Amino acid sequence: MNPSLKFILILILSLAISIKMSLTANYTLIGLALCYLVTKRIPSKRLLVLLLSPLPAALTVFLTLNFFTDQPNTYVALNLSSRIYVYVALIACLSLTTTASTFARSLEQNLHLPSKFAYGVLAALNLLPQMRDNILRIRAAGMMRGLYLSFWSPVLYFKAILLALNSAENLAWAMQTHGFQEGAPRSTIIAVPLRRKDWIEFASLLIPALGLIVLFK
Amino acid sequence: MTPLTLTDLSFAYQTKPIISHLSYHLPSGQLSLLVGPTGCGKSTLLKLMAGLLIPTAGKMNHPGMVSMMFQQAGEQFTMATTRDELIFALENLQVPASDYPKRVAKAVAFTQIEPLLDQPINTLSGGQKQRIALSILIAMDVDMLLLDEPFASVDPEGRTFLIKKLGQLRDQGKTILISDHVLSGYETVCDHLFRFSANALKEVDAASLSALFRANQGLGQWSFTLTPTSSVFELQEMTLTTGKQLLQPTQLALYQGAITLITGPNGSGKTTLFKALTKMLPYGGSLKYQQHELTKLRSKTYLTQVAQIFQASTDQFLRVTVADELALSSSMRNAYFTPERLNRVIHNLHFDDKLDQSVYTLSGGQQKQLQLLLMLMTQHQVLLIDEPLTGLDSQAVKQMVTLMQDVHAALGQTMLIISHQIAPLAPICQYHLHFANQQLNYQEH
Repeated sequence: MNPSLKFILILILSLAISIKMSLTANYTLIGLALCYLVTKRIPSKRLLVLLLSPLPAALTVFLTLNFFTDQPNTYVALNLSSRIYVYVALIACLSLTTTASTFARSLEQNLHLPSKFAYGVLAALNLLPQMRDNILRIRAAGMMRGLYLSFWSPVLYFKAILLALNSAENLAWAMQTHGFQEGAPRSTIIAVPLRRKDWIEFASLLIPALGLIVLFK
Repeated sequence: MTPLTLTDLSFAYQTKPIISHLSYHLPSGQLSLLVGPTGCGKSTLLKLMAGLLIPTAGKMNHPGMVSMMFQQAGEQFTMATTRDELIFALENLQVPASDYPKRVAKAVAFTQIEPLLDQPINTLSGGQKQRIALSILIAMDVDMLLLDEPFASVDPEGRTFLIKKLGQLRDQGKTILISDHVLSGYETVCDHLFRFSANALKEVDAASLSALFRANQGLGQWSFTLTPTSSVFELQEMTLTTGKQLLQPTQLALYQGAITLITGPNGSGKTTLFKALTKMLPYGGSLKYQQHELTKLRSKTYLTQVAQIFQASTDQFLRVTVADELALSSSMRNAYFTPERLNRVIHNLHFDDKLDQSVYTLSGGQQKQLQLLLMLMTQHQVLLIDEPLTGLDSQAVKQMVTLMQDVHAALGQTMLIISHQIAPLAPICQYHLHFANQQLNYQEH
């Protein structure tokens, strides 16, 4: 499916399950999302990480609502904890099957979002691995000068923000030197198609899913 | 094509004037070099010419499309891979999809970057990134290329290759302006050399130019010792891997109290070796510091003995102003830097009128000088120095090399220096390690 439509579908479904409780819908959506990821040949290791990482949060929600409230309610506990899994599974359907650059292109071409927004976010995303390196390097730089910065030290993050501001300016210049001008028209070299097939898929997933959420408890 | 002309141009950062009333013609279809002392405003001038900064007064006429290559190799890309960056740039110029394959093929062939096309840019070395930056300007088919110390982290082979390519671009009618402190390699391609100082651009006449280039030649004879002494680091069957293997199992000692120069082509793993030596990256086999395996040592205590001087100066800074940075290092400075000596060095490096300035607004060369000074002041027994001379003019190079030599003579630390600039460093280095083809070897020359 077209990445933008996929994104909108996920957004609508996530909103819908946060308004109306439906355990049936939650389980179905998690199941469908996992089946989809399996058909997309996502490596089993990543799927395992996907299943395990929300576990602490989901478990905490479940235990709290089922045992440690004045009026324990198993239905609500199961519902809210499975909801976390729905969010994670749905987002994974987008993030594990679409690269950031394809998504940015789709936002620009299909949703007509300002290119400044699409590419600005993309440039920032590409800086993220660098940011992680930066934090480690700042800690080492601190230790080399007798300054021990723990991971909750404000100095560490102040310095990281300074570096990020510095990078942001360089990045804006970089975009400009490669011909980017805010609001200027751009050509399309890699087209992200939005076909009738995408709309049909979108509708045939959205309508039954909404029906499930509204009609079933 | 009309030449680029600046008329009575001025520029100030906040209230501090950097350039005032400058007038200048850049000859079109020629390759010109821009030289000048560290911090004189070369980068600012190039950014003004590229339209990235807006002049506070004066006029500038643009002869067509201008683009620029930066000092910081890493921060000039929006996308994750070269191919995506090429697409991004061509889409910005509204190049139709039908022209895309032709343009990319031409740029890729010209800069020979075929194998790098789909690799994530952040995994490439500084030299490879600059080659990619050039390929993008070629695909964009810009009329004028401005290059701000583009070869600071490029190995000699890469430098020769890129200079040759820039010469070919000039022959195709492009206007090229390069700011650089190192003149070697430009003899055959340079048409003009402009000296930027005291707020004026003066062309160096042909006779003085050839004299300058002649003075640069014949600096190629060095010799280093191979005699082993006691070791500070011992590598036993050590390997380095970051995605691909960088170092095959290696048996080697790094010598205590000596200055060792480390050279090698871009991407060979020199900086990665430093990362392993500072416990920022895992290694295979065994690596011992004074008989202790590195993995067994705690970073907190180990890094008070072994420090790295990073390639990017801003990575080293922890405070905001020059004075604060100096104060932080002063609190635990070594015996060499007595208050009088420190003041003299600060004065000689012209930091005394910049004490209240933010370290981030210093020029690239000044940042490098400050960073080196801050780290030479510490009490470390081992200093791992990554590219100490980038962005420095010949005067500043001499100053910093002398400072390293004096500190070493007084304290006898172990210094490992990564650099592509062998000539100025060779006289103070006892050993020479060459890192290439996944091997580390001591060399006599």
